[in-house]
Amino acid sequence: MTSSSAPSRKALSKIACNRLQKELVEWQVNPPAGFKHKVTDNLQRWVIEVNGASGTLYANETYQLQVDFPEHYPMEAPQVIFIPPAPQHPHIYSNGHICLDILYDSWSPAMTVSSICISILSMLSSSTAKQRPADNDRYVKNCRNGRSPKETRWWFHDDKV
Amino acid sequence: MASGFDESTSSSSSMGNGGNEAGNFECNICFDLPQDPIVTLCGHLYCWPCLYKWLHIHSHSQECPVCKALVQEEKLVPIYGRGKTPTDPRSKSVPGIHIPNRPAGQRPETAPPPNINNFSPHGFGLMGGFAPMATARFGSFTLSAAFGGLFSSLFNLQVHGFPNATLYGATPGFPYGFPNAFHGGHTPFFPQQPANQEQQADNYLKLLLLVIGVLVILALISS
Ligand SMILES: [Zn+2]
Ligand SMILES: [Zn+2]
Repeated sequence: MTSSSAPSRKALSKIACNRLQKELVEWQVNPPAGFKHKVTDNLQRWVIEVNGASGTLYANETYQLQVDFPEHYPMEAPQVIFIPPAPQHPHIYSNGHICLDILYDSWSPAMTVSSICISILSMLSSSTAKQRPADNDRYVKNCRNGRSPKETRWWFHDDKV
Repeated sequence: MASGFDESTSSSSSMGNGGNEAGNFECNICFDLPQDPIVTLCGHLYCWPCLYKWLHIHSHSQECPVCKALVQEEKLVPIYGRGKTPTDPRSKSVPGIHIPNRPAGQRPETAPPPNINNFSPHGFGLMGGFAPMATARFGSFTLSAAFGGLFSSLFNLQVHGFPNATLYGATPGFPYGFPNAFHGGHTPFFPQQPANQEQQADNYLKLLLLVIGVLVILALISS
């Protein structure tokens, strides 16, 4: 069950495994609207299809989220990125990294993949302009060596999107 | 450092999504039945090891993971079910991390013995009138209750034949099912939270009852 495609990561702890299995079951019973979990046998990396909500800038567009879980999930946040091409959004970098506080400082172990997905969709839906963050190029260049967004010292934009 | 996203509403709506009824009793962190269950003042249930690890090792704050209310460890309430807690085979202990015992429950003092909560001028009058009958084995239930309260609160001894003493002391209401009006609308007074006026009446009553009690005891002795 442990990951082969994320070799740099430590295998999930027993607690993490247990909890992810429960989340997966719950997801199958009650998936968040607009999301589809692509079934693999890799519990440590989920790939999730996102459909832009109708009536928003991203209607009829489909993107893919990649969720990697750390050994001590849910005590530590999962790493969530868009698999490029990422949606054009003021808080989403072209390398797929997402500037969203709950993925970093504001993570809480009571959150779930499902609640993250809902937050991301609401972030997309509230966007008023399809554009990259102002510092996109600089940031993406800084991440060239494969840096995880979790290692970024994020500051969170205070605007409405 | 604020985020523009209203994550609290969107995430909380799906956080407590107990698709199953048992979800109400699952730890909010590991989603299992809690080991050493503990509940915060805001009402959120956790395993003690889960909450401890979050607060002490992983979190930068003292917030409830579900609702972000301040969590004070001395105010956590452990939940003790029936029987001895077995050692959980899925033990959540982590090598190198010492998790102390969960905080103990805060036990309010025991309920006072049958007390004068239910006394009222009316009841007092009744009792006063029947005081001599006390020697005749407390003719009525009301009376015996009254005397139970009198004796135990004044002399710290229990009246025999009044086995359910604690039952009466525990409820601030009217254990005998008398409607309020029966007592002439007088608020029953509680020794713990007396209004001034009531306290005076209380003391006055106590004095009177003390006298009566002494008389009764004298009568008992001399008979
Ligand atoms: Zn737990
Ligand atoms: Zn709470």
